[in-house]
Amino acid sequence: MTNWLRTLLQVIVAMVFLLPLVWMTATAFHAPATPLPTSLRLVPDNPTVANFGRIFAIIPLLRFTINSLIVVALAVPLTLLTGSWAGFGMAQLPERSQRRWVIISLIVLIIPGIALWSTRFLLYKWLGWIDTYWAIIAPAWMGTSPFFVLMFYRAFRRVPAGLYDAARLDGAGVLRTWASVAMPLARSTIVAVAILSFVLYWGDFINPLLYLSSESNYTLPIALQSLQQMNRSDWPLLMAGAVWATLVPVGLFVIALAYWNRFTNNTKETVRQT
Amino acid sequence: MQKYLHRIPHQSRLRLLLLPYLIGIVVLYLLPAMLSFGLAFFQYDALNPPRFVGILNFRLAYTDELFQLSVQNTLAYVILPVPIRIFGAFLCARLFLHGGRFINWARGAILLPGIIPGTAFALAWLWILNPLYGPLNLTLRAIGMVPPNWLADAQWAKPGIVLATLWLIGEGFLVSLAALYDIPPQLEEAAQVDGATSWATFWYVILPIIAPILLILMFRDAVLLLQESFTTVWLMTQGGPYYATYTLPQFIYEQGFGLLSFGTASAALWVLYLLTGAVVVVLYLVARQWRIGATDSVLL
Repeated sequence: MTNWLRTLLQVIVAMVFLLPLVWMTATAFHAPATPLPTSLRLVPDNPTVANFGRIFAIIPLLRFTINSLIVVALAVPLTLLTGSWAGFGMAQLPERSQRRWVIISLIVLIIPGIALWSTRFLLYKWLGWIDTYWAIIAPAWMGTSPFFVLMFYRAFRRVPAGLYDAARLDGAGVLRTWASVAMPLARSTIVAVAILSFVLYWGDFINPLLYLSSESNYTLPIALQSLQQMNRSDWPLLMAGAVWATLVPVGLFVIALAYWNRFTNNTKETVRQT
Repeated sequence: MQKYLHRIPHQSRLRLLLLPYLIGIVVLYLLPAMLSFGLAFFQYDALNPPRFVGILNFRLAYTDELFQLSVQNTLAYVILPVPIRIFGAFLCARLFLHGGRFINWARGAILLPGIIPGTAFALAWLWILNPLYGPLNLTLRAIGMVPPNWLADAQWAKPGIVLATLWLIGEGFLVSLAALYDIPPQLEEAAQVDGATSWATFWYVILPIIAPILLILMFRDAVLLLQESFTTVWLMTQGGPYYATYTLPQFIYEQGFGLLSFGTASAALWVLYLLTGAVVVVLYLVARQWRIGATDSVLL
């Protein structure tokens, strides 16, 4: 395959994947209470931000946004801490134990989530966590997902074992080695897990639906559902809500991409120089 | 405290770091899974103490027409799209393996739909598939086709939802990309020196190395879709029209959280346990068969 043909294909495929987001955003700026266009156009006739103001008037959007921010502010740092601990511990165990932990992690990964809904509800009820954020962020105590733990494990295993041993001989404890040797070398993995867990908790619809009951605790995904139930065919309003909920994760994702771009380019430079 | 910590051997201190993970796995996964396994034999509504009822719950669940329908629907469009999704993700990974200066941004575009919150994504597709004003049908009409009514039509609701999930292939894309990276370029070069066309290289060199990873990804994807499909369906069709998109997660949700009959919900889950058990066995056999480089470096 020649280079220009590959680039052309890449551009086309990338555009196809962006289409839903583009259409969602375009409709969010359509003037309220005017008929929807019956022919395809990307930019609405009189673009306006009025729809965003209308959501605030209909539901307490600010409250829901703050709730979502509280959830990620608790869950993401906790995930990074416990997930990297587990990955670090795993990477330094003897080969046989490492294998065992990887297999356990893979088994947990294929337990279907719906199998845990009712019994987790009973567990949280027993703990008195129903209708609190403890029920939502509970998985963060174990690195949120074995997938994240395996990502950290993979990153820490790439570090030559001699480096850890040297730190140990210099008198550094396990925690000290984790903090000042392992973590600084796993920066790109930390960014990746931070973004992925942010997206997971920010967009989580099922857990708040199952375990939260009072409206003042609702997060953004639940708010979108209420908005839909109240205004079934007000498309510009619904799309404005969708854009609002999408803004923060997409913004963070773009920042992370810029970081990775610089990171990989730097690595290439270093490789070329040596 | 410091003094005491130093007396614990190094290995045990490492295991201490793994403790939160271990406790989480036991309390949040293994225990609930086992509990719901046993709950199937009890009548329980979370208010009154559980009462042993034998196999009554199984009789209730498995003779329920809605349950049978939900299993059929789940098989039809949770399992069926999986090969398409994973193969698509793999092809995308192959296409985006090399590229110019903007390759990272192009890859980002593939991942972006997965960054959007599930509810926002579902609302966006509800709009895209709108029969009258939705951009998809406007496009189809513009090129002279008579478009279907999508989610309003029992026949087209399933394809509509499957179409939407084809945009969410980020995880498969990333794992395939990592696996392709780990294949030594010499392998491909050697094949080309021997006169293999790029199609033959792909089919006989690349694909066999990647195959076990694709298989594992498919199982993982089926489990993921099973749960993801709930959010999509709940917002887009709520199981309709005429139960055309009614799946197992919705049955479990309505039994457990709607009717508070946790026992029946657990009995219905036994189908899932059987399927998952079969998957574990297959995965184990596959992992034993292919102890080659690529699988190890991606997953182990």
